[in-house]
Amino acid sequence: MTDIMKDIIAAVIDGEPGPVTTAVSAALEAGEDPESILNDGLTAGMTAVGEMLDQGEIFIPDVLWAAEAMQEGLAVLLPHLAHGVSRSAGTVVIGTVQGDVHDIGKNLVGLMLSGAGFEVRDLGHDVAPEAFVDSVAHNGAGLLGMSAMLTTTMPAMTRTLELLRARGMREKVHVLVGGAPVTQGYADKIGADGWAIDATRAVVVAKELA
Amino acid sequence: MRDRTPFEPVIQLRHLSDDTKQRIFDAALQVLADVGASVSHPEGVELLVRSGCTLDDSGLLRVPPSAVERALSTVPSSFALYDRSGSQAMTLGGNNVYFGTGSDLMWQYDVETGEHRPSGLDDIARVARVCDGLPNIDFVMSGAYPTDLGPQGVYLATFLTMMRNTTKPLVLVAENEVDLGAIIDTAADLRGGAERLREAPYLLAYVEPVSPLLHPRESIAKLLLCADAGVPVAYVPAPLAGATSPISSGGHVVQGMAECLLGLVVHQLRAPGAPFMFGVNQGSLDMVSGQPSYTAIESFMNYLTIVEMAKWLRLPNWGISGCTDSQAIDAQLGLEVAELTLLSMLLGSNLNHDVGFMGFGLTGSLEEIVITDEFVSMNKKLLSGVPAEDLDLAVEAIAGVGPKGHYLGHPHTRAHLRKGPGQWRPGLLNRDNRDRWVEAGSVDLREKARRKALAILQTDPPAPLDPGLLQRADARMNTLRRETV
Ligand code: B1M
Repeated sequence: MTDIMKDIIAAVIDGEPGPVTTAVSAALEAGEDPESILNDGLTAGMTAVGEMLDQGEIFIPDVLWAAEAMQEGLAVLLPHLAHGVSRSAGTVVIGTVQGDVHDIGKNLVGLMLSGAGFEVRDLGHDVAPEAFVDSVAHNGAGLLGMSAMLTTTMPAMTRTLELLRARGMREKVHVLVGGAPVTQGYADKIGADGWAIDATRAVVVAKELA
Repeated sequence: MRDRTPFEPVIQLRHLSDDTKQRIFDAALQVLADVGASVSHPEGVELLVRSGCTLDDSGLLRVPPSAVERALSTVPSSFALYDRSGSQAMTLGGNNVYFGTGSDLMWQYDVETGEHRPSGLDDIARVARVCDGLPNIDFVMSGAYPTDLGPQGVYLATFLTMMRNTTKPLVLVAENEVDLGAIIDTAADLRGGAERLREAPYLLAYVEPVSPLLHPRESIAKLLLCADAGVPVAYVPAPLAGATSPISSGGHVVQGMAECLLGLVVHQLRAPGAPFMFGVNQGSLDMVSGQPSYTAIESFMNYLTIVEMAKWLRLPNWGISGCTDSQAIDAQLGLEVAELTLLSMLLGSNLNHDVGFMGFGLTGSLEEIVITDEFVSMNKKLLSGVPAEDLDLAVEAIAGVGPKGHYLGHPHTRAHLRKGPGQWRPGLLNRDNRDRWVEAGSVDLREKARRKALAILQTDPPAPLDPGLLQRADARMNTLRRETV
């Protein structure tokens, strides 16, 4: 790997505003291939960040700052990328289900998904099935993420899935569920496509589904 | 059960100066007056606006300091809770310290098999029975969420199960004002009328706003219902430092206080003088694992400040004890239970819940409740201190024994052991030598706690409740299920 790529990776990990754009501009000036800057620089930086979090070497907000810095670099790079290279891994609609206000876990999942390049539409908490379904339709989202933290609010996931079916949209969108009371067994029972124990796993599952 | 002399520590922990406390309070007032809060309860908003709060176009409600001061002047600095039979059991306020379980745990370490499994209604019964048999557990929360029931009416079912299995005062969670109403009606029925319940409250409701600065419709509705019924209520946010509140201890407490005090203002406007409990849950988000830590050292630092602020405001406080982040009934559990529980005792923290909590509020263990009971017993002795008026200096005994003698059979020893303070006897902790301990099966603390819990479960349950009362409660349950289907 060239030093220039190492600089980009280091700047992404550091997550300070500024240095990533400087490093990307320097790489472009040095004649590096824009595709390689994307894959071996920016994306490699985010992969490293994910691994470091997994190892407990950095804090959760470091991921957010790295993702923001990465986006800045991407903005500089985008005009140089060949047509058809998308800056997004796909659109995800996410929210905490109806009757439930617990949103910290959902926020973390959203944060990690945007760190991984997904376009995240966060509907907040206490989200009615209609609102989920409308947003999926409106944004043409390929993935719907629902979080429930109360045993009493888990049935709202089923109601949302039913509404997707009733509107003939179930085949068009993958559904990912999670939250402390939600298990793989429950996800299977209600016919969701994926379940994750935590935010890091949610990214893995989202990528598999995307 | 009677309110034996309430326990009040003679050794007390304080670390904030009056000036610091004033600054923290002023900052909370500033947040209420300048930042405001979002209150999603039309009647509550109207009540606040009529008494000088302002509502702006973006829906933010701002509370002037005068409104808080007025509420502080009408709220009682102490109130009592009564047991199932109507006897006074707890006087909350001052430095009186009480302990009890927490609610809604989804998992249990099964006391019989040691297996980690989902909680059911039976676990609520078991928690209540074990608490009923432990002298240092003063009040009871459900300890478990009945995952074997459908979601309709769960909190009424939980309440009925608790009421059947312990006579101690109850602290309750409810979904909204409808199920809380059914619970309060049942408690009033037990007492023989709503007025009797108001005079001798059997329960305290635990209601939470949502950090940051959000007061959902249901939270305010439950708060107002309690104000109307004269049922004590704790309006306690759970800001997680670094996630839903500032990460600094000061910022965490300031925001949490602003949230709790808004509740106090609405509550006192609705029913001046009605019993209200102040508190802020102390949690912080672990920035690596993403877990909501109850026992991180930063959480403890937040806790010290919160309880000191309650004392300074002269409000009965909501506290925490007997809980751990550990996933096992192990030494980490012992260490965290001990530190947190001792802090609560030293602070004179009033209503200390969450005894028996493990793994970030998701798993429960009866062993942990039993261990905490023992820890509290032992430290009640320590923190009663040596009374200055009868400092037993024993100079006569020293003179009588002289050099080379011993005190084993001395009258002073006898008087001390038989008529005096005695010697605190452990129920669980080992005081045996190695050989005896091995002969007795090398039983460790966890196993002893387990056996004690099982032994309590073998004792007779509390007297059954009046069948008429239960029938009427069933009728309320049916209505609740119909209404919420
Ligand atoms: C889309 O795909 C995915 C994939 C993965 C997904 C996912 C979606 N969503 C989550 N994940 C997963 O990834 C995340 C990140 O790693 C993880 O998310 P988590 O959310 O699990 O983890 C977060 C990072 C940190 N965890 C949390 O933030 C939750 C912590 C605990 C302590 C908790 C909190 C903080 C709160 N609470 Co509440 N609360 C508890 C919680 C106990 C617990 N440990 O879960 C729990 C969930 N609460 C409970 C209760 C009872 C309640 N709470 C209530 C309120 C609150 C607060 C408002 C005070 C606050 C929430 C604030 C907020 N803005 O979110 C009330 C209900 C309000 C409502 N209608 O929603 C109230 C009813 C209490 C009351 N007195 O009224 C219990 C639920 C019991 C049950 N079986 O239903 C509870 C287990 C605690 C307890 N033992 O009492 C994974 O689950």
